[in-house]
Amino acid sequence: MAGRLLLVCRLMVRDLRRRRTETVLLLVAISAATATLTLGLALNNALAKPYERTRAATAGPDVVAMPGATGPQALAALAPLASAPGVTAHSGPYPIAYLMLTAHGKTVQVVVQGRDNSPAALDRPAVTTGTWVRPGGVVIEPTFANALGVRTGDTVAINGRPLRVVGTAVTAARAVYPNADWRFGPGSPLVQLAGLAWVDSSEIGVLADAKPPSYTLNLRFADPHASTSFRHMSRGGIEYTSWTQIAETDGRLVKQARLALLVGAWLLTALAVASVANIVAGRVVDQRRRVGLLKAVGAGPAMIAAVHLAEYLVIGLAAAGTGLTAGWLTAPALTNPGAGLLGSTGTHPPALRTVLAVTVLALAIAAAATLAPVLRAATTDTVHALADAATPPRRRRWRVWLSRRMPTALLIGVRVNARRPRRAHLVMVNTLITTTALAALFMGLAQDQQVRLGESELASPRNTRTLQAMFLVVVVLCVLALVNAIVSTWTAVLDARHPLAVARTLGATPAQVTAGMAVAQLLPAIPGVALGIPVGIGLYLVATPGQPQYAPASWMLAVALAVLFAVAVLTAIPALAATRHPVADALQ
Amino acid sequence: MTGSALLRARGVTRWYGRGSALVRAVDEVDLEVPAGQTLAIMGPSGCGKSTLLHLLGGLQRPTDGEIWLAEHRIDGMSERGLARLRRHHVGFVFQSFHLMDELTAVENVELAALLAGQSPRRARQRALDLLDRVGLADRAKHLPSALSGGQRQRVAIARALSNEPLLVLADEPTGNLDSAATLEVLRLFEELRRSGQTLVVVTHDPRIAAVADRIISMRDGAFADDNRLVGTTTIGTTTAAGTGTVYGRVR
Ligand SMILES: Nc1ncnc2c1ncn2[C@@H]1O[C@H](COP(=O)(O)OP(=O)(O)OP(=O)(O)O)[C@@H](O)[C@H]1O
Ligand SMILES: [Mg+2]
Repeated sequence: MAGRLLLVCRLMVRDLRRRRTETVLLLVAISAATATLTLGLALNNALAKPYERTRAATAGPDVVAMPGATGPQALAALAPLASAPGVTAHSGPYPIAYLMLTAHGKTVQVVVQGRDNSPAALDRPAVTTGTWVRPGGVVIEPTFANALGVRTGDTVAINGRPLRVVGTAVTAARAVYPNADWRFGPGSPLVQLAGLAWVDSSEIGVLADAKPPSYTLNLRFADPHASTSFRHMSRGGIEYTSWTQIAETDGRLVKQARLALLVGAWLLTALAVASVANIVAGRVVDQRRRVGLLKAVGAGPAMIAAVHLAEYLVIGLAAAGTGLTAGWLTAPALTNPGAGLLGSTGTHPPALRTVLAVTVLALAIAAAATLAPVLRAATTDTVHALADAATPPRRRRWRVWLSRRMPTALLIGVRVNARRPRRAHLVMVNTLITTTALAALFMGLAQDQQVRLGESELASPRNTRTLQAMFLVVVVLCVLALVNAIVSTWTAVLDARHPLAVARTLGATPAQVTAGMAVAQLLPAIPGVALGIPVGIGLYLVATPGQPQYAPASWMLAVALAVLFAVAVLTAIPALAATRHPVADALQ
Repeated sequence: MTGSALLRARGVTRWYGRGSALVRAVDEVDLEVPAGQTLAIMGPSGCGKSTLLHLLGGLQRPTDGEIWLAEHRIDGMSERGLARLRRHHVGFVFQSFHLMDELTAVENVELAALLAGQSPRRARQRALDLLDRVGLADRAKHLPSALSGGQRQRVAIARALSNEPLLVLADEPTGNLDSAATLEVLRLFEELRRSGQTLVVVTHDPRIAAVADRIISMRDGAFADDNRLVGTTTIGTTTAAGTGTVYGRVR
């Protein structure tokens, strides 16, 4: 037993070492898929989790009550609530004013809350930079500050009065920018986008031009059901907002980003499988010989399966680890900066569920792509396996006939494809997926990246984050597609070396041969691109609420041409390199 | 022949393809090889020598017929059963060596022993002994790529002997070697014959055939001649019509 174990380990280690490039490519391919899955799962709860963390850290209320009335009337309406049955704690009422904030030449709507340094039982905003409010200073919610481009120490104006930004702070008692709910006046049913800021409560009257302020009261109930049974309601002239409503509003900011990641993860997984299949297919000949050899010295099917599985298990597990780490490290970049909430996903180790899902995915990809050839090899006649040639190239009669009537480059391309139809399919899948993702990204870029807050526009955190997620997916996809393209073109060139050498002895020039190889890859790439663009646009339309704008046709044309150009160049390089060798070498 | 033959084949047939492309690579061959015999199989290219050897060693299944090895019927055996049989009872030597490129000489030799479940230490000791026997003790740690063709073939022979097989099958073991390397292999085979190893060699090389106890010539998938040589006397019977070359024995 020890001997067999030793053998399995030895064969595995030697093989991995001997095929370093392949091992690395496999690792990259599977890691890319697992990293995306990790990201998707991490962000799945991204805003819910930080919201809950923020709620715990800032003693967030269960319910926020705001009367429609102003001034003393409002205070009178709120007074009985604090001592109502079931209420275990309260803070406030705090004055609130709906004002305009000016910074860097932009004037936007802001909800200003008056606070002081007295301790509060509920809603103690956590200062993330600078200090808490003091007279003459304003504290801004960090997402809002980010969008405005202001930092601690800058000066902003509220309703024309200059105030120094003394800090930034997060709260769980109100949704983050741009959903802080601005109104034309207290009780106004019309809600508009706005940011949130805090000033010293003594100054709110001055800022509001002595108009009577509205008030907000934070409540906590003994019964958790009292706050989860509703989201928002109006009763007796008072509006009640539950924490679940705020959590949901904050979560909406990343909903689309999450969707982009989810779809991206599927696309990436498909591409990773194609990639792995591509890499594995490249070594099938070698693998068959190895299997035959092992069988000739008496290894049974179980042993052979063990040797190969061990290899891919190791690669799969390594890729799962790499993907988990990479995904987990990237996740905070998507929720931060300025998620307006406390904590980041990266500070906590991945959940067991995530680890399991990622490991299963990695192993499944590794197994799916490798098991079939191994099983086939293990059950075929040893003699067939030992014979060096893989399955002989297939001959497609009509294509050979067709290619006789074409220019040389096209002729060579068509014949090369006719030899290995499966590789041509792979090229198509590769370009299809890449183009789909790129088309969707360009749709995203065509959207309005700004939101209007009163007089001026600011960056939309939702669209920014969605674009970030899509961009991330596209970058990883392009890396994978590149790996795929390099592997498939190199193997195609290697495989076609002999027929191309024959073509050269018959008088084809290196340029014709190179062009021929490029055409061989371009032919299947064209339907991939042609299909990818509408699929990408469709995907974006399905995943986006409302009525998104279409990207200009010229952008899409550019994407298509760029992808095709990349495919052609990627093939031409190894093909050109191959034609530098004397014909005789290849003919041997 | 008595039933005590180590290897017995009855009506063994192997076809490839079908219809007009049908090739009768091996056509109803009967064969008995007693333990300890060295048998050389010769014949023109494409006459089915390799195919027959593969059938005898369980690397391939016959289309029809029966094969017994050491009283086990192997023609219908499962892949697992065949694997176990090869592991314990059959050693192969191929024209193109078929060593594992990523394993050193000694690791290649101990492969079969490890597969058979021997302890790593005993397998290593035996492998080193065998390499010593084929004169490659000083090359034990070399990769195949660092060995000459003749050296590689000697490693392959050492590997074939690793589990003290009942039967060694060699398919043109000198086909890729020059005459100096061929002589080394020849010396090894001569030694094997003397030690009583049952050996079936497919070869084009009359020098290899010359060390055999018996020479069979094949033609078109069937035996043309079957010559038994004892000492310098030929006690042979011709099984099929036709005049194959009769190989003399130089002693
Ligand atoms: N996989 C196969 N498919 C079809 N025909 C085959 C296959 N393998 C062998 N043959 C045919 O079977 C016949 C016998 O082949 P085999 O390899 O046994 O010949 P051989 O005597 O070993 O020849 P050589 O001396 O050239 O090695 C040949 O005609 C060959 O074409
Ligand atoms: Mg042969």
